[in-house]
Amino acid sequence: MLDFFIFILLPILSAGLCYSVKDIKKQYGISLIIAMLHLGLSLIVFLGFYKTDLPTFFSSDSLSKLFLLILSNVYFWVVLISYSYLQRPVMTKAEEAKKYYFLLLNFYLASNSAAILSNHFGMYWVATEATTLSVSPLIYFYRNEEALEAMWKYLFLVSVGIAFAFVGIMLLTLSAQGTPLEGEQLFFSNFITYSKQLNPIWLKASFIFIFVGLSTKIGVAPMHSGDVDATSNAPSPIAALMSGSLRLTALIGVMRIYQIISPTSSFQFARTILIIGGMLSLFFVFVYMFNVKNYKRMIAYSSVEHLGIITLGLGIGGLAFVGAMYHAIFNSITKIVLFLMAGNIHSKYKTREVTKVRSVINIMPKTGWLFMLAFLAISGIPPLGIFFSEIKIFEGILFSDKPYLLVLVMFFLLFIFINMGKSIFNMLYKNNENEKNDYHLEKFNLTHFVAISLLLLLTIIAVTAPDVLYQNIIKIAQDFGITI
Amino acid sequence: MENVLSIFFSLSLFYVIITSRVKAYVSVLQVQGIILSILLIIPFIHNFSIYGIILPLTLLIVKVIAIPRYIKKIIRDLDIKRRIEPTIQQMILLPIVILTIIIIFMASSLLAKNTVVNVIPFASGFSSIVIGIYIIMFRKKLIIHVCGFLIMENGIFLFSTSVASELPMMIELGVLLDVFVVVFLMGITLNRISSTFKGFEVSHLGRLKD
Repeated sequence: MLDFFIFILLPILSAGLCYSVKDIKKQYGISLIIAMLHLGLSLIVFLGFYKTDLPTFFSSDSLSKLFLLILSNVYFWVVLISYSYLQRPVMTKAEEAKKYYFLLLNFYLASNSAAILSNHFGMYWVATEATTLSVSPLIYFYRNEEALEAMWKYLFLVSVGIAFAFVGIMLLTLSAQGTPLEGEQLFFSNFITYSKQLNPIWLKASFIFIFVGLSTKIGVAPMHSGDVDATSNAPSPIAALMSGSLRLTALIGVMRIYQIISPTSSFQFARTILIIGGMLSLFFVFVYMFNVKNYKRMIAYSSVEHLGIITLGLGIGGLAFVGAMYHAIFNSITKIVLFLMAGNIHSKYKTREVTKVRSVINIMPKTGWLFMLAFLAISGIPPLGIFFSEIKIFEGILFSDKPYLLVLVMFFLLFIFINMGKSIFNMLYKNNENEKNDYHLEKFNLTHFVAISLLLLLTIIAVTAPDVLYQNIIKIAQDFGITI
Repeated sequence: MENVLSIFFSLSLFYVIITSRVKAYVSVLQVQGIILSILLIIPFIHNFSIYGIILPLTLLIVKVIAIPRYIKKIIRDLDIKRRIEPTIQQMILLPIVILTIIIIFMASSLLAKNTVVNVIPFASGFSSIVIGIYIIMFRKKLIIHVCGFLIMENGIFLFSTSVASELPMMIELGVLLDVFVVVFLMGITLNRISSTFKGFEVSHLGRLKD
């Protein structure tokens, strides 16, 4: 029960505490302690030193252990920089938003943990809807028109999407008619046991509804627009949180139904849908990158790209599946750095337009270099993490039954890299002609420390390839019926 | 009994399509809420239990009293005009809706040959989901979008009662709470939108583009 208390109840309690404590610094202290406890326990659970003992509706397997660790890692770093972020000057209207910042963050942690650890489709649905509710007020942090519109669109689109997912869940119960599951509760584990007896037609319908519904939240094309708007207009820590962990929380729902469908005759159908989703995402990003105006939006689109790669990897299966799991980790870490550095640039230049941001590397060298490193990391330059996961996915595609997809993927990724690089290097190096050379030293602040630690963490995980992580991912693959 | 109630539910969908008043949408939401609560009470008429009454009662409070009152309050506060301002003519939408509902009913009776489903509640629920999406697509006012979303939610509720296998009460209550909070948040956002953009129509939301 201790794990349930720390993962879900404690964040809810501390959300209540944050409501009653008015001082932001105290709220920060409480949230940071909760984040550290959460990170510590999920690391211990991941390493296998602690056997989880969760109440009904919740359970943990290799997949939820991995995703929980990703969540608490992202959350910890985001909370760590939140206080210094809140100290930055904002519009007077945004001052009121600060009061609820930590409250909502704690609520976010509780609902995400509940969604990841849930063992029941109903519970998963309730928790996922709660994650939307917790994050959408945070999107409206800056209290400007764009943020308001983004919040409305995100809240509405995702709520409708999740309602669709609920229809999918209902169809799943229909598919269980005539099996031992009829009239039983909707536990993932039971469905996996009896998956071969499920009615294929309803199962397919259920998969489509759940995938399309949740893809509004995952940000897989063509349902990505609400998600991109939200990520690009939210404050940087929240954007990092959304890109790094919220999308994965939604992905876990798709993976559960994919796991149910994988031993059945409908497997090929589900695979095709996932592959189409992934390729479409890459295509949309490929088109977008030719005309980048807003750098935060560019990074949000980069999230669409990488979630697309993960979905593609899941669909291809085999080695690509293993690569996709690594990709989820590396992407989440890199996205924090990218968004934090973009946030630094934004607070200096007060604009999100690419053309108005010039010579970052001279004006704010530390941020500039880290931003460039993070860009190299996200584009898959060794030894920065994503290279290793992408190479696995490419190898998986090459030796799968659809090797021709690799050509398309490479083509898209190459142009995404070139175009994204163009915008970023213009921001970093291009000088405005009538600019004064008032270069002064940029102070080393907490965001730089976090960025450096995260890039180091990324490299260490990628280079040393810890065995416990590898074993865990292999175990996930085995749960999905994949043998390497 | 279930079938009769579901038919009434479908009829409320026709009404919602032809009406051009904002308040009528709220009344339809109330009627649908009442129908759903009666549907939930029916199994407990013969063997009454306190435990079984909790969910219908919560549903009644949330869907018939709390949410409609809240929406009415928003309409009053924001001084939203009575007319709904559709993007296409009612008389064009009506045949489309009738056609959709006929197709859904026929398809579900075909599907019922292989699977045991309660055809009429199943098809009414599904029609309501589709009509909810139509309302979101073909109406300009954001408050009507919220109503469309709720009609969709009601459809899902009816749909889930027809699919047998009950969800545990804790989760049903969680779903209701989530829906309520979503509507609450949407209401707050609408308030902000009307004060920031000086309007509450979709056409005001066009700043975010690629």
